[in-house]
Amino acid sequence: MRKSLVFGLFVLGCFLFLAALGATSHVRVSHFLAVSHDLGDITATLKLTDISFSDDARYTRNPSQADIFSAFQDYPGSIEHFPSGSVTPPPDFTSLGAAMKVRGQ
Amino acid sequence: MSLNSHMNVLDFTLLSLLRRKFKNLGIVLVFTFIVFITGSILFLSYSFKREALLILKGSPELIVQRMSAGRQELIPVGRAKEISAIPGVSGVEPRYWGYYYDPLVKANYTILASSGSLSAGNRLLQGRLPAPEEKGVAAVGRGVAKARFIDMGSTISLVSAAGDAMDFDVVGIFESESELLTADLIVLGRPDVIRLFRMPPDMATDLAVTVRNETEAPVIAGKIRSRFPDTRPILRKEIIRTYDAVFGWRSGLILTLFAGALVAFIILAWDKATGLSAEEKKEIGILKAIGWETSDIIEMKFWEGLVISLSSFLLGIILAYVHVYFFGASVFAPALKGWSVIYPDFRLAPFIDPYQIAMLMALTVIPYIASTIIPSWKAAITDPDEVVRG
Amino acid sequence: MNDPIIQTNELTKYYNKGKANEVLAVSGVSIGIRRGDFAVLKGPSGSGKTTMLSLLGCMTRPTSGSITLEGRDISHLPERFLTDIRRTTYGFIFQQFHLIQGMSVLQNVMLPLYPTDVDLPKLKKKAEGLLEGIGMMKRRDFPVQGLSGGEQQRTAIARALINSPEIVLADEPTAHLDTALSRNFMAIMKDLWEKGKTVIIASHDPIVFENEYAALVVEMRDGAVRNVTRK
Ligand SMILES: Nc1ncnc2c1ncn2[C@@H]1O[C@H](COP(=O)(O)OP(=O)(O)OP(=O)(O)O)[C@@H](O)[C@H]1O
Ligand SMILES: [Mg+2]
Repeated sequence: MRKSLVFGLFVLGCFLFLAALGATSHVRVSHFLAVSHDLGDITATLKLTDISFSDDARYTRNPSQADIFSAFQDYPGSIEHFPSGSVTPPPDFTSLGAAMKVRGQ
Repeated sequence: MSLNSHMNVLDFTLLSLLRRKFKNLGIVLVFTFIVFITGSILFLSYSFKREALLILKGSPELIVQRMSAGRQELIPVGRAKEISAIPGVSGVEPRYWGYYYDPLVKANYTILASSGSLSAGNRLLQGRLPAPEEKGVAAVGRGVAKARFIDMGSTISLVSAAGDAMDFDVVGIFESESELLTADLIVLGRPDVIRLFRMPPDMATDLAVTVRNETEAPVIAGKIRSRFPDTRPILRKEIIRTYDAVFGWRSGLILTLFAGALVAFIILAWDKATGLSAEEKKEIGILKAIGWETSDIIEMKFWEGLVISLSSFLLGIILAYVHVYFFGASVFAPALKGWSVIYPDFRLAPFIDPYQIAMLMALTVIPYIASTIIPSWKAAITDPDEVVRG
Repeated sequence: MNDPIIQTNELTKYYNKGKANEVLAVSGVSIGIRRGDFAVLKGPSGSGKTTMLSLLGCMTRPTSGSITLEGRDISHLPERFLTDIRRTTYGFIFQQFHLIQGMSVLQNVMLPLYPTDVDLPKLKKKAEGLLEGIGMMKRRDFPVQGLSGGEQQRTAIARALINSPEIVLADEPTAHLDTALSRNFMAIMKDLWEKGKTVIIASHDPIVFENEYAALVVEMRDGAVRNVTRK
């Protein structure tokens, strides 16, 4: 088989695969839309304002609600440092004794 | 020129690319990786946004917080009455909620007072919510249940602000399909929340205001602020805007992590764009000398760019889809999770924005083709005389 | 048969005209080559043979003067037409062969006609026929960089002939070959000439210009024609 045909078939195959993915996407989205009614019910009943997406620090839990929660809530150097807390590990406080336990260690 | 001649040129291009198998395969791999990362970020943040917006459609139109010395403070429940007297307000309800750090599993929970029950047919809660005035019972999110190994009927014990242990019977667990909303929730009766946090009597965390007409919400917010200058009203619209920003931040973070790969690719493309190798130049000269037209050579270069960039784009975007929607974006998990212990299992609904995909395609395929064609242009328009001389 | 297929008139070519390194490579050459001629351009190194061949083969354009191909002045045609002439009328055998590295003998031979409408299987048949004719069939699928000099040249010859050209041009074809291979090459050229092709060779090798069928010998020196002999 000539190479241009192989390439053409490869591209066609990819597009067909993408179309198949699009179809599954459609199915899953419609499933979600069915569930989203119930989700909306939870939101409304509990009067929630945010999704549980960034749970690593208190002030990132409800990003839409500016609140009293700020960095260094529990002790200086607490990992609630924004936003690098997501990528930088918390400092080592073991030398300060067992009382200074850092979450995530 | 007919279709056949175009196919012939494509044949030749593929033949020519196969000569440098490893180099070209390397380019395709790096290119695919870049598309994979960018595509994953696009899929992820777009789905998140769409889901968040749908989920949060039911949240209160207006939240009123009290500020004191620039920080949020508890708000007197008595203000609810005055606020509900403002024209256009249809209801005001105090919210009692806060965070609870559980040293046992090193996780943050969100504690929330129940203020009603879900509608009858709700499939996302196994069991029930505590009634607003009920004591000693809790409904928990799937994340909390997993972290504390809780089942229906077990007890969960929390330490109150006063230092005494409080035990709650678990009467409800949220289904995992609602994790994006409920993973870290512990819903209690109102008296329990007040006791757990030792909130002063007649104080609430904030007030949720419902309005008759949402377009009126900003006006009502203004009225609340002038009546209570120490309050801060937060509109639902602002919440939605916040989510745009948050996803911008998270995707920016991921992008930063993979910036190295991006830079490597840009260097690669730059290297290609700024000059042909002597060998490539010579080959172009030979082709011209034996009767290829300038346009044939440009066409060959076009195919070369298209073969590499289109293959990479298609592979990358397919991998990105599979990664995000079948494997829960596992490559990004460390960056997305941060240090959270309770974290929703990503089973995102694959909302796809065709415009975004088309954009990504245009931004990857076209510049690459251009950077393949442009440098060979000059070589293609020079006289083949030099070739004659070797 | 006696009308010239190529006629040059006061053909002049400067390199880097107007610059300090200006070179007059060909100056005022007027020659006529007839259809079916076996023409040889001879002369010492630097006398302008390659430049003449390049001008005749439409690889570059003259600074002044004109070239007429089959009665048509081609010296001022746009590039597109020159390419077309190269593709349809000429077969050029380069001194350095200029095969595309990494491709097989067969692919190299097919190369000139890829961007045309031809059917690839037909083109392949034709290329194989040409390879057969010069005894290269057994090397058909060898990558060209592994071939000996003589084999590379035969590949280059087959490539020059794939478009059934009217005129075959060769620049110093025997420079890299030993005597036996040079005679072999000349035999192939003679064969082509006998089939009616016009052959033009630039060379200062006696094997090329001292043979009975070299009907036209143009001797060049310092870019100008010194002597024209027609047998
Ligand atoms: N691209 C160029 N730029 C400048 N000068 C050139 C160029 N090509 C050729 N020349 C000059 O033109 C003159 C004629 O060169 P040409 O190659 O035609 O000679 P030749 O007879 O083929 O010599 P040889 O037998 O060594 O191949 C030489 O002096 C050469 O230096
Ligand atoms: Mg020469």
